[in-house]
Amino acid sequence: MPKLYRLHRAALYAAVFGTTVAVVSTASAEEIIIGAATAQTGGLAPYDQPALAGLRMALDELNAKGGLAGKYTVKLIIKDTRSDTAQTATVAQELIDAGAKIMITPCDADPSISAGQLTQPLGIPTLTLCGSAPVLTAAVGDVMFGTYPADNVQATAVADFAVAEGKKKVFLLTSPDSTYTANLPEYFGKVFEKKGGAVVGRGTFTMGQPDFSAEITNIKSLADQPDLIMTAAYEPDFPAFIQQLRGAGVTIPVYGADAIGTPTIKGLGKLVDGVVYTAAGYAEPGSKLEAFNAAFAKYAGHAPESTYEVNGYEIGLILDQAVKTAGSDDPKAIRDAIAGLKDFDGITGKITYAGTDRMPLRPVALMRYEGGEGKHIQTMIPDAADVPAP
Amino acid sequence: MLSVEALKIRYGEVEAVRRVDLAVDSGEIIALVGANGAGKSSTLGAIAGLVPAVSGKVVFDGVDITGLAPEAIARKGVSLVPEGRRIFAGLTVADNLRLGGAMHLPATEARAREEEMLELFPILRRYHRVKGGNLSGGEQQMLAIARALMGKPRMVLLDEPSLGLAPQLIDTVFDLIAELRRNGLTILLVEQNVALALEIADRAIVLANGEVVLSGTAKELATSDLVRQAYLGA
Amino acid sequence: MIAQQIINAVSLGGVYALLALGLAIVFSIVGLINFAHGELMTLSGYALLAALVFGLPFPAAVLVAVSCGALAAVAMERVAFRPMRGASVTSLLLTSFAVSSLLKVVFQNGISARPQAVAMPSWMTGAFSFGDFTIGVGPSISIVVSALALIALELFLRRTVTGTAMRAAAEDFNVVRLMGIPASRIIATAFLLSGLLAGLAAMLWVAQRASVDPLMGFTPVLKAFIAAVVGGLGSLPGAVAGGFLLGIIEVLLQATLPAAVAPYRDAIVLSGVIAVLLVRPQGLIPAVRVQRS
Repeated sequence: MPKLYRLHRAALYAAVFGTTVAVVSTASAEEIIIGAATAQTGGLAPYDQPALAGLRMALDELNAKGGLAGKYTVKLIIKDTRSDTAQTATVAQELIDAGAKIMITPCDADPSISAGQLTQPLGIPTLTLCGSAPVLTAAVGDVMFGTYPADNVQATAVADFAVAEGKKKVFLLTSPDSTYTANLPEYFGKVFEKKGGAVVGRGTFTMGQPDFSAEITNIKSLADQPDLIMTAAYEPDFPAFIQQLRGAGVTIPVYGADAIGTPTIKGLGKLVDGVVYTAAGYAEPGSKLEAFNAAFAKYAGHAPESTYEVNGYEIGLILDQAVKTAGSDDPKAIRDAIAGLKDFDGITGKITYAGTDRMPLRPVALMRYEGGEGKHIQTMIPDAADVPAP
Repeated sequence: MLSVEALKIRYGEVEAVRRVDLAVDSGEIIALVGANGAGKSSTLGAIAGLVPAVSGKVVFDGVDITGLAPEAIARKGVSLVPEGRRIFAGLTVADNLRLGGAMHLPATEARAREEEMLELFPILRRYHRVKGGNLSGGEQQMLAIARALMGKPRMVLLDEPSLGLAPQLIDTVFDLIAELRRNGLTILLVEQNVALALEIADRAIVLANGEVVLSGTAKELATSDLVRQAYLGA
Repeated sequence: MIAQQIINAVSLGGVYALLALGLAIVFSIVGLINFAHGELMTLSGYALLAALVFGLPFPAAVLVAVSCGALAAVAMERVAFRPMRGASVTSLLLTSFAVSSLLKVVFQNGISARPQAVAMPSWMTGAFSFGDFTIGVGPSISIVVSALALIALELFLRRTVTGTAMRAAAEDFNVVRLMGIPASRIIATAFLLSGLLAGLAAMLWVAQRASVDPLMGFTPVLKAFIAAVVGGLGSLPGAVAGGFLLGIIEVLLQATLPAAVAPYRDAIVLSGVIAVLLVRPQGLIPAVRVQRS
C-alpha cells in the first residue's frame, strides 16, 4: 500500500493516543508477544485497520486452538502510530521493551522502515500489514517481510493483462511524492516495453493537487495518442484525475493498482467504468476466500471492505506455520522459517518467500469496475522472470 | 443636552483624562481647548463611544450613553467628525455622503438630505463622483462635516477641524461652523487654535493634563490672564 | 492546445480568485486570516454529499451546500471569533488554526477519514467540440460560475449600502461605526460572503475531484492565502488578480515544464511569489487602509 498524504497532514490528526488491547490472555505457560505498531488514526488508518482486523481474527482463532503452532498463546499488543513515521519508531520501541518477538508495521514503506531499523539489530521478524513497495525489505534488512503483492508484481500482472488485451501505447502518470505513485507505473512501463508495447508519454502530479487540466491537455495533444493510461494515483487524486479526464472528453482507458480498490473509488460509479485494478485475491464461489469473507463478516459484524482483511488474516497463518517450522518462539528461528516458506497454502492462493527478497510471490487478482461493481477478470501469479527489479 | 461627569480615561498605564466635567446646552457651541495631549480628543472619543472610559458618566438628553457602542450613540443623534477627517478615501464623495445618512434616514429622505448638503457645500457637488482620497485637505474637511450632518444629528462633535488647513480654508470652515450653529445645531468643538475657537464659541473649557483648569464664557476666557499667557501668546 | 491551456488556467484561476476573495473580505474587515476557510469548503462538500444522498435534485443540493457554507461561516464568527474581537492578528490567526484542526478531527471521526465519492451528474463530464477544439463542461462551468460570482459581488459592494459600508470598513472600521452602522452587521456580512464564496468554490472543487474528504480544504486555503498575499492582503481586486495569476502560472508551468523539473513546480511558483513581493511588498494591488488605533 502506498504512502498516504503527506506527513505534516498526519500531524494534524493526533486524536487518539496509543491504546493497548490484549486480544486473549488465557493463562498459559508459553506466551508469545506480537507487537502491532499500526495506525488507528490518520491517513493510514483506513488501510491499517482492515488489515489489523484480519490479523486479529486469525490470532483469536489460533489462540482458541492453543496459540501459534498449538502451544504459544499470542498476546497482541496494539499501539497507535497516528500515521506518523516518528511516532511509529516510538511505539515500536515501546513494543520491543514490552517483549515483542514479532513486529507488525503499517501499510506504508516509511513507517515500516523506521520500525524495522529498531527490530533489525535485535533480529525480530517484522511484517508490514500491506506495505507493497519492493524496496521496503532491502531498505531494512533480513528481518523485514512484505506480505501484500509487491508493486512490481502487481504492475507486471496489469502489464501482462494489458498486452494480452492488445494494448500498444501507454501514457504513464506518476507522482514523485511517494514510492508507490512514483515507481509502480514505471514498473508497468518496463514490462510493457519488454513485451512489445511503447511508452508514448509521461506526466506527473503532486499528491493532493486538485487540478489535472494541464496534464490532461498534454495527453490530448500527444501526436501519438496512447490507448492506455497507467497510474498509481489513489484518493483523492485518482477521483480528481478521472473526473477531469472524462470531463475533458478523453475516453482512453485508465488502469491502476490495489490502492484504487476501495469503496470510495467504487462509489464513483459510471465514472470509473472500465478501470482495471488489482487485489490480493477474489472470492470466487466455493473458494477459500469466499468462506473467509463469510467468517469475517460473522467475526467483525461487517463484510470485508477489501482484500486487506484477508491479507492480515494470512499474516496470522504465515506466523503460525513459521512457528511450527521453527519449533520454538525464538525470533531468529521464526524469521528463518518465514524466509523459507514455499508454496504455503494461504486463503488467496500459494504464498512463497523462498528465493525472493522477502517480498512474497503470490497471486494477484485483476479486477475491473463495471456499473459501480468490481468485477473479477482473472487471478494470476506473474512469471518471476518478468517482474522488474526494484 | 449633553453632560459629562467625572470622566476618566486611561490608555494602559497612561492616564489621558484624569477628570473632566462639562455640560453642553442645546444650541450652544462649546469649545474644548488646550495643548496637545491635554485630553481633548480622548474626551470626544469617550463621548462618541470610540474610547472606553475607566469611570465617569456621559448623559445625552437625559439618557446614560456611557459604554454604548459607537453605532448606538451615533443613532441617538451624536455625530463625531474625527480628527484627521478620516473620510473614506477609496469611496466617491457620493458614497461617503450616502453612508453618513444610511442608518438615520429612509432612502428618499436621504437623497433630499444629500441635496441639502450639496447646496451647503457646492464643492462637493462638483466632485460628486470623485474618490474622497483625491480631494484636497479642505475639501476633505467639508466632506467629513457633510458626512456627519447627513444623518441630521442633534449634536456634532468636531475634532480639530482646522488641523492642516491653509488659513483661508480655515476661515471658510469656521464660517460654516458658525452657520450651522445659527441653524440650531449643538456643537462641541475641540480646537488647538484657541483664538479661533474663542471667537466662535459661546463658552469654552480649558483642559490641561487631563483636567479642567478653567471654564467660562468665551469672552471671559479670551480676557483671562492664564489663557492669554498660555494659549494666546500675549 | 494553447487555447485549451488558457481555458484551464482561467478555470483554475477563477476558483483561486473566489477563495482568495473569501479570505480577503474577512481580513479587510477584521484583520483575520481565516485558515478555517478551507473547512468551510469541506463542510459545503459534505453538505452536497448529504443532500444528494437524501435524494435532492442536483441544483437543490448545490443550493443547500452553498447555504451551509455561508451559515457555517457566520456561526464560526459567532462562536469562535467574536469573543476574540479586537485581539491581535496573531491571536486571531491561532484561533483560526484551532478551529480548522478541530473541524478536521470532527469530520474525520464523525464522518470518515476516507474520501467519500460524490457522483457528479454525467453531463458534467461531457465536452463541447468546435472543430478539433474541445472544451470540457467542467472548466466551462467553473469559468462561468467564477465570473458570475465576481460580478455579483462587485454589484453588491458598489450598489448596496451594506456593500458600500463594507468597502468603507475595510479602510476605517471605526468611522463606519460613527455613521451609526453596526459593527456586527458588517462583520456578519463579511463572514456570510466569505462562506458563500467558500461554498461556491467547494462546488467547483468537488466537481473537479468527485470526492470529499476531511482534509480537502487544506490545499485550497493555502493557495488562496498565497493568492491573497500576492494580490495585496486585504485588497479585494488584489485577491482576484492574485488568484488568476496563481492559477495561470500553475497551469502554464505544469503544461510546459519538462518532466525532470515538473516536481519543482510548486517551488517555482512560490519563488515567483517571493519575487513579486520583493518588487511590490504590498502586493499587486495594495489595500487602502488607515492605521487603526
